[in-house]
Amino acid sequence: MKPLHDSTTPPGTPDDEGATGPRTAGAASGAASSAGAAAPVIDVRGLRFRYPGAETDALGGLDLSVESAEFVAVVGANGSGKSTLARLLGGLETPAGAMRAVACGHDLLTDDGRMAARREVGVLFQNPENQLVAECVEDDVAFGLENLAWAPERMRARVDEMLARFGLTGLRDREPHLLSGGQKQRTALAGVLAVPRRVLVLDEPTAMLDPAGRGEVLEAVAALRRDGLAVVFVTQEMDEVVGADRVVALERGAVVYAGDVPGLFEDVGLVRRLGLGLPAAGELALELAALGRPLEPLPLTLDALVAALGASG
Amino acid sequence: MSAASSDGRAVSSRSAPGIAAGMSVRCDGIGFSYAEAHTPIPALRSVTFELAAGRSLALLGPSGSGKSTLLQVIKGLDTPEAGTVALDGLRPDAPGYDAARREVGLVFQTPELQLFATSAREDVAFGPRRLGRPEEEVQAAVEEAMELVGLPPEVFGGRHPYALSGGEQRRLALAGVLAMRPRLLLLDEPFVSLDPATRRELVRILVRLRSGGVTLVLATHDVDLAWALCDDLLVLDGGRVVASGPWDAGEAGRALRAAGRLREPFLVELWRRLGRDAAAAPPRTAAEAAEALR
Repeated sequence: MKPLHDSTTPPGTPDDEGATGPRTAGAASGAASSAGAAAPVIDVRGLRFRYPGAETDALGGLDLSVESAEFVAVVGANGSGKSTLARLLGGLETPAGAMRAVACGHDLLTDDGRMAARREVGVLFQNPENQLVAECVEDDVAFGLENLAWAPERMRARVDEMLARFGLTGLRDREPHLLSGGQKQRTALAGVLAVPRRVLVLDEPTAMLDPAGRGEVLEAVAALRRDGLAVVFVTQEMDEVVGADRVVALERGAVVYAGDVPGLFEDVGLVRRLGLGLPAAGELALELAALGRPLEPLPLTLDALVAALGASG
Repeated sequence: MSAASSDGRAVSSRSAPGIAAGMSVRCDGIGFSYAEAHTPIPALRSVTFELAAGRSLALLGPSGSGKSTLLQVIKGLDTPEAGTVALDGLRPDAPGYDAARREVGLVFQTPELQLFATSAREDVAFGPRRLGRPEEEVQAAVEEAMELVGLPPEVFGGRHPYALSGGEQRRLALAGVLAMRPRLLLLDEPFVSLDPATRRELVRILVRLRSGGVTLVLATHDVDLAWALCDDLLVLDGGRVVASGPWDAGEAGRALRAAGRLREPFLVELWRRLGRDAAAAPPRTAAEAAEALR
């Protein structure tokens, strides 16, 4: 994830959002939770799910905890349960069971809890084509608010705010099918976040986009971190994992790694077993290490690789 | 573009089981528009390029630049308003052109959505059967294609396509096209949504096809995998060709940057950052790069 240098991002913090203020350091959320000041926004223990007719569980006892303002990347091979987890966290599927399954204080094991969780947990999927429903960009952004019967004036202000925030103001009258992939996905993101949220779950949001569209979406998501929104970011792109606070790796529906990003990529045996890879810089560093030129610490970005090669060469 | 390899890699014509020798393709002044609310929206404007038999072409461009449309035109699913697609040196009015066109394989984006049969084997057999091939030939082609994509028929043949993982489904759909023994294989975003290990497996399959002599056209946003796989480059922007020819890193880099929504391959950028680009062509793989840097 690119660091943000943009100091002009509008405030845009939802008015009834639980968390406040920018997240300034890795210690902030840890301190809050150890003091018991804030419950995690996602608190799941032993979550199970099975698709109708399937012979095995898609999720078989999954544990996950996410704090306010935390950015958690979720990785795993095809079929490891990432998308299932995304749908369950958003209250879009009914769990088969769990010791505990709480999202924003709502019990995902009950119908009422799932309905309430859907209001506070936004989910953005891979294919923007399937998520745009209205005739023009601004109607699409307003769609969720209309369903919640917001007053017209309040809705207008909120839609304007979201259009500005995601760089869509000049495109507000555009038909969604005439947008680029990145513009479509930003419109879908603005629509998801127009409804004030505490958690945003993204399921491979950049998979269908060209490099520029990918950059647009990643920057928009990075900006959200400063607002205190918790982000669960499912991806197959190892380069997109690098900036996360924490990474969770799934294997056959269970968590097999939860911790910092370098810790995952330094365990190359685990990375390979899980069907994952390293960011391009890390893959090259591994090849170099095999030839007798190890780089420490393992570089995960182009900048870090260039610096390490300069330092050791 | 000529068959002589500009980057020193041999263009092999060696045949391998289930792999047919490649065919050339040449597009001359292709124009195509989509009819949208009575206003035609041009998708391809005077697209001209040539790809020699056995070469692999990276088809790059921003979303909406015409990549998928060009693949459909080459396959013959869309008829161009202007220009011609010559296959194997044959123009569309030449005898034998229809036969050549049947040897063009197109793997659609997310092809697993089109799996439909009740067993993997039957799904792969659908294409060659529809071409009217004798049943023994169909079965041999099915076995070879399933082996090629790493789904051995004795293990996977009887399984229901929907019981396969996402990566297995993608490879099964590819096998369905390979069973028709294409000499020109067109792939539309084949890596989308695959996990890194499945991507590596797919790259190995495509390398095997390429060294078997099949001509490849790879439309993708994944410029790093394209760089690892492809001899030649065609960059589209707004339906026009903005770069074409052997993928020379320096010149192509300028074209990729000029197209605005694209980036250069990681290894090309690394080589430039290290100041090595003037001395030698950037490496194609991490292993080659490590050899040079050790």
